[in-house]
Amino acid sequence: MNLERLPNEEKLSLCRKYYLGGFAFLPFLWLVNVVWFFREAFVKPAYTEQLQIKTYVKRSALGLLLWVAVLTTWITIFQHFRAEWGEVADYLSFTIPLGIP
Amino acid sequence: MNASDSEEDCYNERTALVQAENPALPSYRPEPEQAPPTNAEPKMQGGARRGGSPVLDGGEADQEADVDDEELTLKYGAKHVIMLFVPVTLCMVVVVATIKSVSFYTEKNGQQLIYTPFTEDTASVGLRLLNSVLNTIIMISVIVVMTIFLVVLYKYRCYKFIHGWLILSSLMLLFWFSFMYLGEVFKTYNVAMDYPTVGMIIWNFGAVGMICIHWKGPLQLQQAYLIVISALMALVFIKYLPEWSAWVILGAISIYDLVAVLCPKGPLRMLVETAQERNEPIFPALIYSSAMVWTVGMANPSAHSERPAQDAAPLWEGEEAEQSSAGAEPESRPSRSYPADEDLEEDRGVKLGLGDFIFYSVLVGKAAATGEDWNTTLACFVAILIGLCLTLLLLAIFKKALPALPISITFGLVFYFSTDYLVRPFMDSLADHQFYI
Repeated sequence: MNLERLPNEEKLSLCRKYYLGGFAFLPFLWLVNVVWFFREAFVKPAYTEQLQIKTYVKRSALGLLLWVAVLTTWITIFQHFRAEWGEVADYLSFTIPLGIP
Repeated sequence: MNASDSEEDCYNERTALVQAENPALPSYRPEPEQAPPTNAEPKMQGGARRGGSPVLDGGEADQEADVDDEELTLKYGAKHVIMLFVPVTLCMVVVVATIKSVSFYTEKNGQQLIYTPFTEDTASVGLRLLNSVLNTIIMISVIVVMTIFLVVLYKYRCYKFIHGWLILSSLMLLFWFSFMYLGEVFKTYNVAMDYPTVGMIIWNFGAVGMICIHWKGPLQLQQAYLIVISALMALVFIKYLPEWSAWVILGAISIYDLVAVLCPKGPLRMLVETAQERNEPIFPALIYSSAMVWTVGMANPSAHSERPAQDAAPLWEGEEAEQSSAGAEPESRPSRSYPADEDLEEDRGVKLGLGDFIFYSVLVGKAAATGEDWNTTLACFVAILIGLCLTLLLLAIFKKALPALPISITFGLVFYFSTDYLVRPFMDSLADHQFYI
């Protein structure tokens, strides 16, 4: 899909759909949205829909940062306290390393 | 995963490479003399192209135009070769890296696909050979049946069914197989991982993959996902096909591909032609395309270029619901750049069916898994790329859908067996005797 060839309204619609889709626990979709529409939103010369695209890109970036923070915190906590939590940690674990408590 | 996983599916691949015709470009003739101001000469390739492009200086002689067209063909051909080398190489690299590091995919624990019911654990060589041939026959017939089924569905316009099947296959690949893969990678590297994180990763990976492949997404991301799912499929094949059966199946699939694409009544060829007649885009998730062509609804009936050649049967048979994998259809067609579409992009790109990716990777992966050392793997890799070059060359000459498997797989098989059994002992022997050549 080449963004160059799409008319502006469709670009806006696509950006919006990606933005809305990201709310379904899909920060990756927000990342794709940001990267893909970055040039459209910030680098290209202005056109009517650009302002809205900019808002969506900014909000996607914000949501992405939020998710990254949440996930990093959770992963750090889990990796650090996994041994101490005992059973609960085992229950939560997908893989348990061998040889390390 | 128990043995009844019928994951694997049949692959129907139709690897067809279709030559892209060069978009007609106005030739610039520097000589001032000229020729009749009508630009005309209908170029042989294709017809009218940018209709109005004024010929700058007079007309060119037809011969010059022809020469130009040929040059353009070759120029595009070389570029397309490079555009295909990168994804094929990436896929193979991913498969080989996984095989070498994650031992799960080389462990044989007796489980086999239901498509290869005969075991190879027999005492005598003859029986083992017989079993592998029988396995191959079963596998190929399943593939043939699936391909014909797909062609029939396509002919009778049961698009919903086909779409549903493809979506189910890609769902399986993107979620289940990647979950397994991730699990094995974590186990190999002895990393602790919790369900919530893994859940998030797989959910994101899978959902964005579905969106990119089946709906709209950035081209590079779509290409990356197609490479990843081809690699996953190839890994599953490598794990679950018994040794000798795998080699025989590779050989048989190339022959089938050749027959199916080139024979007038071959299912793949019929599929291609039907798709062309209807001027329809091919189903997503079956073709890797190196560039997206945008046509603004040109009415030109010859503009099938972009249609990715719809491939033949999805490889996977979706019967077992869980297991369908997106079949890559080997149909690959470089979009033809038919003239007269002014809005068409110049660079049409080449399309290669995902089945091709998968089987190339299976060959190289098996060479990495069972070959003695890296020489064999590299030799197979080079062989496949050479085969791909030659196929694309043929494509430039014949300009129609071609099977991409036969030449590469033949070279690959020849190189594998000769390197493993002739070259390597020879090199070892030379090294032993400190004899350098």
